[in-house]
Amino acid sequence: MIGSRQRGSRLGVGESRAGMIGLGVAAWMIGLLWIFPVGWTLLTSFKTEQDASAQTFHNGLTVGRYSDVSHSTTGTLSLSAAFTNSLVVVLVSTLIVMLLALPAAYALAIRPVPKWRDVLFFFISTKFLPIVASIFPIYVYAEKWNLIGTRTILIVLYIAINLPLAIWMTRSFFVEVPRELIEAAEIDGTSLLNQLRSVILPIAAPGIAATALLCVIFAWNEYFYAIQLNFAGASTMPQWVIGNVSTRGNFLAKLSAASIIACLPVVLAGWAAQKRMIRGLSMGAIK
Amino acid sequence: MASVSYVEATRLYPGTPDPAVNELNLDIEDGELLVLVGPSGSGKSTALRMLAGLEPLDAGKILIGGNDVSSIRPRDRDIAMVFQSYALYPNLDVAANMGFALKQQGVPKHERVQRVREAARLLDLEPYLDRKPRNLSGGQRQRVAMGRAIVRHPQVYLMDEPLSNLDAKLRVQTRTELVELQQRLAVTTVYVTHDQVEAMTMGDRVAVLRDGFLQQCDSPSTLYHAPANLFVAGFIGSPAMNMLPASGAGPLRIAGADVGIADDLGGERATIGFRPEAVVVGEGPIAARIRTAEDLGSEVFVHLVIDHEGEERRVVAKVDPPFSGSADDNVAIGIRGSIHLFDTAEARRTTIEP
Amino acid sequence: MTTAADATRSAPRKGRVGDPFGSAWRRRAPLLPALVFAILITQLPFLVSIYYSFTNLKDKTQSLIPEPTKFVGIDNYKAIFSDSFFRQAVWTSVQMTVLSVVLSLLVGTAFALLLDRKFFGQGIVRTLLITPFLLMPVVAALIWKQQMFSSLFGILDKVLNFLGFSSVAFISSHPLASIVTVLVWQWTPFMMLIMLAGLQSQPSDVIEAAGVDGATSWGIFRQLTLPHLRRYLELGALLGSIYIVQAFDAIDVMTGGGPGSTNVPYFVYEESIGGGFRYGSASAYAIVVVVFAIVIATFALRVLSGLLKDEDRA
Repeated sequence: MIGSRQRGSRLGVGESRAGMIGLGVAAWMIGLLWIFPVGWTLLTSFKTEQDASAQTFHNGLTVGRYSDVSHSTTGTLSLSAAFTNSLVVVLVSTLIVMLLALPAAYALAIRPVPKWRDVLFFFISTKFLPIVASIFPIYVYAEKWNLIGTRTILIVLYIAINLPLAIWMTRSFFVEVPRELIEAAEIDGTSLLNQLRSVILPIAAPGIAATALLCVIFAWNEYFYAIQLNFAGASTMPQWVIGNVSTRGNFLAKLSAASIIACLPVVLAGWAAQKRMIRGLSMGAIK
Repeated sequence: MASVSYVEATRLYPGTPDPAVNELNLDIEDGELLVLVGPSGSGKSTALRMLAGLEPLDAGKILIGGNDVSSIRPRDRDIAMVFQSYALYPNLDVAANMGFALKQQGVPKHERVQRVREAARLLDLEPYLDRKPRNLSGGQRQRVAMGRAIVRHPQVYLMDEPLSNLDAKLRVQTRTELVELQQRLAVTTVYVTHDQVEAMTMGDRVAVLRDGFLQQCDSPSTLYHAPANLFVAGFIGSPAMNMLPASGAGPLRIAGADVGIADDLGGERATIGFRPEAVVVGEGPIAARIRTAEDLGSEVFVHLVIDHEGEERRVVAKVDPPFSGSADDNVAIGIRGSIHLFDTAEARRTTIEP
Repeated sequence: MTTAADATRSAPRKGRVGDPFGSAWRRRAPLLPALVFAILITQLPFLVSIYYSFTNLKDKTQSLIPEPTKFVGIDNYKAIFSDSFFRQAVWTSVQMTVLSVVLSLLVGTAFALLLDRKFFGQGIVRTLLITPFLLMPVVAALIWKQQMFSSLFGILDKVLNFLGFSSVAFISSHPLASIVTVLVWQWTPFMMLIMLAGLQSQPSDVIEAAGVDGATSWGIFRQLTLPHLRRYLELGALLGSIYIVQAFDAIDVMTGGGPGSTNVPYFVYEESIGGGFRYGSASAYAIVVVVFAIVIATFALRVLSGLLKDEDRA
């Protein structure tokens, strides 16, 4: 008789409850220590500047710093402008990256061109040139075409920096699609677009979502191009955050608040999608 | 070499309402080849994994050689297992695969090499010793999985449907080799399969499982001729036993005809069964119509329909060739063999011999 | 019947057998948009850089109309080989990249092993562990600079003092270590995700078989898991290196350059728009770096790893 405990055992043979609990405790401690710098920053963002600098708690917690950074002073970049810029740039560039990468991955995985390895290597090699080196020619031409301070130039550049990774990852997910499904679609005369839509995408969807998320993360957090190709008053979130570093007075709490605001969207997106990212990665990023 | 006992062994998977294996009691003798058979979901694989230590027990215990191993990890149980998927180590070659367990035990290299070579010779694997699993055919992988087990000298061999991924011909061939091997090695073996033909041809005894419960554990012959209940009767034997509802008091009437059986189990009679070879086609009291005849060369299976208790029922007869009937012929059939009587609780109560 | 078949035959679609260009171009066509885009946006600046590297282009950023620049041949390249600061930057780059990649792989693998077991609240711990990767690199650098390392505000300092040790000026005394710390903190989650994918792609029956065969947990890890993880380690090292070797944000924020923490990208930056405005010679440095990178990567990809080796599809 199983007895009153009508639930099966979750422990394996030879595993002890104490061992499992011990492992859990160790894991939690490690996790909390690891996140400590972020947690501390979060805490600091709710303090007054005095408290922040001195690491004390005298004045209690307040959201004052958040409203400080949200209402910009003259001459500095406003939060809403920076946020909108970032949003547009990131979403448009990621969308275009995926639109370019999906067919390219098809041409490298499903019906491969003969020299697909070389093509893949070429794409990866585009990341070897340090962006600090190409910035000058890019600046020269961007200025010539009146693109300095626009979203367009950033969109174009972010597509370029994310495209290799997007193609690499999407290709490896496409490789996982069973050959027979493709062949059946070919026999039925399905066009490339429809093949993508009805056969490939449903299977590779988690991987594609993971890829898109990575592109969003890299684009949102990109600092160098944003700084170099924008004026002080018209830029993206990274520049807005740096704008809160001041040389006069205490700024630690304000900077903390600004940091939290700037990172929050991508952090939340990453948290929401982490399971999918793991599933997507284990599906075949490793081919 | 050791005996194996399941004592009230139970396993309930978390989140499911019914145990996968429910208070299993089974005693397996030293050196015996016992087959666990049943449809999918019957609990046979779970029972094997419990013996291996890959599934914990929620109640009861398991003994190997008289020792309670219920909370002992697989690696300390001194067992060898052949997995349905073979589970070969992908990064090791065939020789390393087969010698893996010996290496874990610290067996010195020269002895390891020798024992691996011996097993390889037994299984015709010598040309493949340095190949990796991915470069082997299905049949070769299966033999490596076997070799991995026989190279050790454990107390018990466990085999989880080791032949089910082979093609039919190879399966039959390997079956006999396996039985010979087991008899030679004389190690207690617990063998799981869903194929009742395999079970009948291989086992010293066969344990039939259904929904986690043991139905019957006996020699193949006993299972065939004296099934404990309706399920075993219908599961063992191919084509399946013919079964007809036969409730009601008084003499048995099949398709309206009196077949000379008066026993009604005190009113408990519910079903009767008789095997195809018990049916005689061409003479008898029962009216039937032929649907098809399958001529296998050595025997002919005739599929018939009778009108029994107001409904059309199918009956299969096994006859010796040549058979001259064809579809839609009306024939008379009779039963000249054992008829089993099953009661309302599906248990077999008695068998009328011819 | 014949007429219908004839009709379809007489209107050839792209890709029909018999049309010599149909099949090959049908394969290539989907690739072209991405390929054209990449070539335009990345190769053109590259070519322009090559051109600049043969000139003595230098300028103030106010006026971007180049002054008459001379073609100086390979003078810039010759100067590189005698430039000790560049050599130092290369050495710093090597140290920074190798240390960061190796450490984040080690820690990431350890975390992945931890997360592969079940325990209460596993999902939350995983969420905590991946967070640093999601932060802006400048924010991560700022957090470590201000909250952790700073001798004025920093927590680590307070902890050290509390434990009785004297203050340590982390960033000024140990610039490379400080940068590596931030890089490892940020990239460990990335490695962890890749290694988790690797661990979860291991077939469970093989692990069970090893257990039945008498292997201990450590034995299973060493003999089966590690070999299986090799490709994942290689992928993590490759992708991580590609990104970490370009590390810029952390250096700019934490140390602003300086002898211990200037890697090659920062060096080139300082040479060009970061203060030197010597675009010609900066381009030469960059080209040298790219050539090296291609050589190393070609060697690594073709010879060492099996990442691209074992596939050939029709």
